[in-house]
Amino acid sequence: MKRYRVGIDIGGTFTDLVHFDEESKKFSVVKVPTTPKKPAEGALNAIEKARIEFEDIYMLVHATTLGTNMFLGQEGLHPPKLALITTKGFRDVVEIGRQKRADLYNLFFEKPEPIVRRRDRYEVKERINAKGEVITPLNEEELRKIAGEIRNKGYEVVVVSFLHSYRNPIHEIRAKEIIEDECPNIEVITSHEIDPEYKEYERTSTTIVNAFLKPMMSKYLTALLDALKGRGFKGRFFVMQSSGGISKIDYAIKKPAAFVESGPAAGAVAVAYYSKITGDSNVIGFDMGGTTAKASTVIDHEPSITTEYEIGGKAHAGRLVKGSGYPVRFPFVDLAEVSAGGGTVAWIDEGGALRVGPISAGADPGPVCYGKGNTKPTITDANLILGRLGEKLGGGILTLKKDLAKDALSKLADQLGMSLEETAFGIVKLANTVMAKALRIVTVERGYDPRDFTMFVFGGAGGLHGVELAEELNVKSVLIPPRAGVFSALGLLLSDYRADKVRSVIRSAGDISEDEIERIYAELVDEAVREVSIENAEIKMIRQVDLRYKGQAYEITVPWMNDVEECVKAFHDKHEALYGFSSPDEPVEVVNLRVTAVGVMSKPEVKAEKDAEHEPKPENYRGVYFGDGWMNTPIYARNKLKAGAKIEGPAVIEDYDTTIVIPPNYTAFVDGYSNIRIVRD
Amino acid sequence: MDAVTIEIIRNSTEYIAEEMGIVLRNTAYSPNIRDRMDCSCAVLSAKGELVAQAEHIPVHLGSMAVGAKNVVEYIEKEGVEVEEGDVIIVNDPYIAGTHLNDITLLKPIFYNGRMLGFVANKAHHVDVGGSVPGSIGINAKELIEEGIVIPPTKLVKRGKLDNEILRLIASNVRVPKCTIGDLKAQIASLNVGTKRITELADKYGYECVVEAWNRSLEYTEKYLKTKVDRIPDCESEAVDYLEFGDELININAKIEIKGNRLRVDFTGTHEQIDAPLNAVFGVTVASTSFALKAVLDPDLPMNYGFFRAVEIYAPEGTIVHPIKPAPVSAGNVETSQRIVDVLLKALSEIFPNRVPAASHGSMNNVVIGSQTWAFYETLGGGMGARPTKDGVDGVHTNMTNTMNTPIEVIENEYPMLVLEYSLRDDSGGAGKFRGGMGIRRVYKVLSNAVLSITAERVKLRPWGLKGGMDGASGEHYVIKANGEKIKLSGKDTVTLSDGDVVVINTPGGGGYGKPEERNPYLVLGDVKDGKVSLSSAYEQYLVKIVEKDGELVVDFEETERVRGYGSKGD
Repeated sequence: MKRYRVGIDIGGTFTDLVHFDEESKKFSVVKVPTTPKKPAEGALNAIEKARIEFEDIYMLVHATTLGTNMFLGQEGLHPPKLALITTKGFRDVVEIGRQKRADLYNLFFEKPEPIVRRRDRYEVKERINAKGEVITPLNEEELRKIAGEIRNKGYEVVVVSFLHSYRNPIHEIRAKEIIEDECPNIEVITSHEIDPEYKEYERTSTTIVNAFLKPMMSKYLTALLDALKGRGFKGRFFVMQSSGGISKIDYAIKKPAAFVESGPAAGAVAVAYYSKITGDSNVIGFDMGGTTAKASTVIDHEPSITTEYEIGGKAHAGRLVKGSGYPVRFPFVDLAEVSAGGGTVAWIDEGGALRVGPISAGADPGPVCYGKGNTKPTITDANLILGRLGEKLGGGILTLKKDLAKDALSKLADQLGMSLEETAFGIVKLANTVMAKALRIVTVERGYDPRDFTMFVFGGAGGLHGVELAEELNVKSVLIPPRAGVFSALGLLLSDYRADKVRSVIRSAGDISEDEIERIYAELVDEAVREVSIENAEIKMIRQVDLRYKGQAYEITVPWMNDVEECVKAFHDKHEALYGFSSPDEPVEVVNLRVTAVGVMSKPEVKAEKDAEHEPKPENYRGVYFGDGWMNTPIYARNKLKAGAKIEGPAVIEDYDTTIVIPPNYTAFVDGYSNIRIVRD
Repeated sequence: MDAVTIEIIRNSTEYIAEEMGIVLRNTAYSPNIRDRMDCSCAVLSAKGELVAQAEHIPVHLGSMAVGAKNVVEYIEKEGVEVEEGDVIIVNDPYIAGTHLNDITLLKPIFYNGRMLGFVANKAHHVDVGGSVPGSIGINAKELIEEGIVIPPTKLVKRGKLDNEILRLIASNVRVPKCTIGDLKAQIASLNVGTKRITELADKYGYECVVEAWNRSLEYTEKYLKTKVDRIPDCESEAVDYLEFGDELININAKIEIKGNRLRVDFTGTHEQIDAPLNAVFGVTVASTSFALKAVLDPDLPMNYGFFRAVEIYAPEGTIVHPIKPAPVSAGNVETSQRIVDVLLKALSEIFPNRVPAASHGSMNNVVIGSQTWAFYETLGGGMGARPTKDGVDGVHTNMTNTMNTPIEVIENEYPMLVLEYSLRDDSGGAGKFRGGMGIRRVYKVLSNAVLSITAERVKLRPWGLKGGMDGASGEHYVIKANGEKIKLSGKDTVTLSDGDVVVINTPGGGGYGKPEERNPYLVLGDVKDGKVSLSSAYEQYLVKIVEKDGELVVDFEETERVRGYGSKGD
């Protein structure tokens, strides 16, 4: 029976399962601990705990952090033995990187250790120039010698990356044939197959990351699918990409590096879907959990995407520090992340200033009020003291120890010479300042005005901070979707099928004909369609082109309009809009051609309840601290709120997995989809 | 005023400086600002004291603090009345603090008619006129040869751009469109800055913002003084040299710590020269700030409070504090690196566990071009080995951090082929911890062209520490089509013919600790990686490596014999 659509997200600590029941038209959620050594087991446990039959699952979408964990050197994950073959003279390109350091002032900095050691990097005589012409033929004899060495030394995967292969892959193709011929059991991956874009360091790095993850991901995904089938699963199996699209398992095995941020991508997809329901066309997604807060944007119901990403990289105050990780050039949902979550610790530095983060007490031992041994006060402890968080959580499953939180916080208060509640309120305000930064990065820095946006707030801790945070940025409206604590995972059930293809051309706009461009597009479309062709899916094809002024290093992407001149005009306009000026007399270059194929999936249909405006009754009252002092504040239970309910602040709404604070001068409205929208009076 | 509000205003002010930087980067025209991020933005108090700064390149830290304060003092001295909506432009290095290419713009922030402070930014313009394209030429004898000199001047008066001044500037540079585009970007960034600071004052009030800024300066001053106070009183001196023709130009520095006072004194340094290696005082302050921040506390919050806790003295008329009209364009890129080296050397006596051996010590500036094209890049080298680990191979260190240009970009845009880009084998100074390796970059020009190179450490090698060996010196030459090899001195301008090959070998970092104390397994690893040759392993590290069953292994017997003691490593 085709009854359930299931999403499983294996995170570092928990494995989340969401499913949609086509009979009852309802979503449900299950959480089980992740089993790091045998991750597939956690997935099976979750399905069992959800009490659904494997046979009844007609579609399963999977997201996992396994790829990232492999880079963090998680126990039990074994990296394969890799070799790299480059053009003679260039084996060190991957080690030098972009020659910059990730840390300006730290004399003890490290560059990321090269994934392929120098001793495993080989060079072969060959050369193709920027026009794609062979200027030195591939020395096949030398290559066969290298292949012999590779065979003897027990490598599992060989990466081949030659200069200008994005323009002419003939030498990479021939090299692959020769190595496969000499080493029948070794996997060979060429750079033009994985990332046919120019800039040799980024292309080689992307290919190496793929090679690094491939054996493990392929083994893991195959084993998971076999185990599911063994229990009777007969449905379709998909994997979530970092772009927010889903794909079949064979693509995940071929390009595992495109899947490393699948969990956070799901959150953006969920926001996109709900933005359609609510009719909000400019949305900031704000997800605050136990250790971090993440911000993303969704414009016209599409998550914003970036191709600038480094796996294993560090962020500084929300922004990626270039050179801190390994570049991977695939589409990623554009996220800014800061160290501010419920478990984030507040402290006083050497100069006597109050600081929040980046250290976190995580989920274990967690905040002081969990009573599991942590004595350093956290954001959650501050919220508890301010009455924003109740002492009983999760419908009474968890009781917070307010006394412990008070003891811990009063130590800080004494040092600062402030009262307990002023200190707690200070921590909340400071945390908001830090989180506002992530929100500014995805809006102001990308040329958007936050005042034009609605903020969707989710994650366990989001509801406590959302409204005051929105005020920092003059965001007018805040929306808390249902099941906010596991909202991210919901995205797994709401995604479309997606394949991205790109080819570098780098030609003067005046020199390249429409016919030539169409020929390349035809090839890219062909590849993309092969990946997304599944039964009954309508396929949307998006063609785009990256342009820039000759001499610039940043490209701007515009839609392909079947006419080069039209695209150039659109480029000037977009340059003007983004940067405040354009230079219509300057020569323009066509850099990359892009194709995105979207296989539109059917989505679970969420039904709206009829709404009728009314003012619900509070469960009880408690003192809650707002800027001007303590206020006796009504507390509501979210599951009792009906469509049309209207609640004036100050108020607190408690849900199973999140708590929502509505400050004075704000009003909350519940809609037919159980969303709570909060606006300033 | 409570600690939380101060911290919130301090954070918000820092974010505003950063946001100004993003606006500047996004709207700038030239790749120098857009890609290499050779720019910085700052918020200043009404007295011109630096409150917050977003810098992407360390040479701007400190030079902005000096430059902005100089400008504010200049305005006061000259009796210029600053009004709301004005923007002041300046690039005179003897006021603004770096070199002519760095143009600084400064805008006052008024709140309800009262002066609250300034926002400022500084950006490296591709060309500011002068005798050579790009304005940085090694042959300049006086400042005027390095481009147009702009004293503090109102470019915008009460919100209205002065087109006459803009045209005057544009007429004196080689790429006027680019200059105007970048200046407009700088103005856009200042406008965002003033708007955000005004919003901050709306929220917290004028007095509160001023108070919080003052308290932030006090905080940094106190933070640093507390740190210095914990260091026992001491003095340490060092000297290092720049290469200029047949001469060596000495830079002397003495660091004195007494109670909570820290003083840096450059007395004894070589007098200024008629060549662009002079570093204006702003650059000396920037280099000193870098060295102190990196050694004392890399996370130290930087603002004017830092300069209240540190005294920097450089006698006028020296290469680290020249008098107008000495040329200064290379003071930024080369002398700044040497000032850091000499200070790190002095600091290594006081903080033996915190200071690396000398890094490659040069930005290795390469310019290749003709009348129709110009290619410019700086190359990294080896970092000095650290007291606890090896130096990093092939990286930009200390005063710069710009990215390289991908080979596929070079070959698509310029008539050049890159024949090699690699780490220089055996270039890292031997030591218990090995110095980082230099970079080898080989270009072949496919048309006639001119090469200009400004590089250091061609004669004097980057020094090792605690018994570590010096790193390899830079080695640069041109190979003509007929095979003739022309050795370069490091400060050359050479004509190239189609097909000529330019070979740049940047210096390696110095080693740390005695090479014979290096763990033989680490030597073996370096030999396997081809970073150290078999002969160096034996001659410098006293580790005998032999091939056994097709694999390289340590011959412990021989190693123990030559090392003369237990060598199994630890």
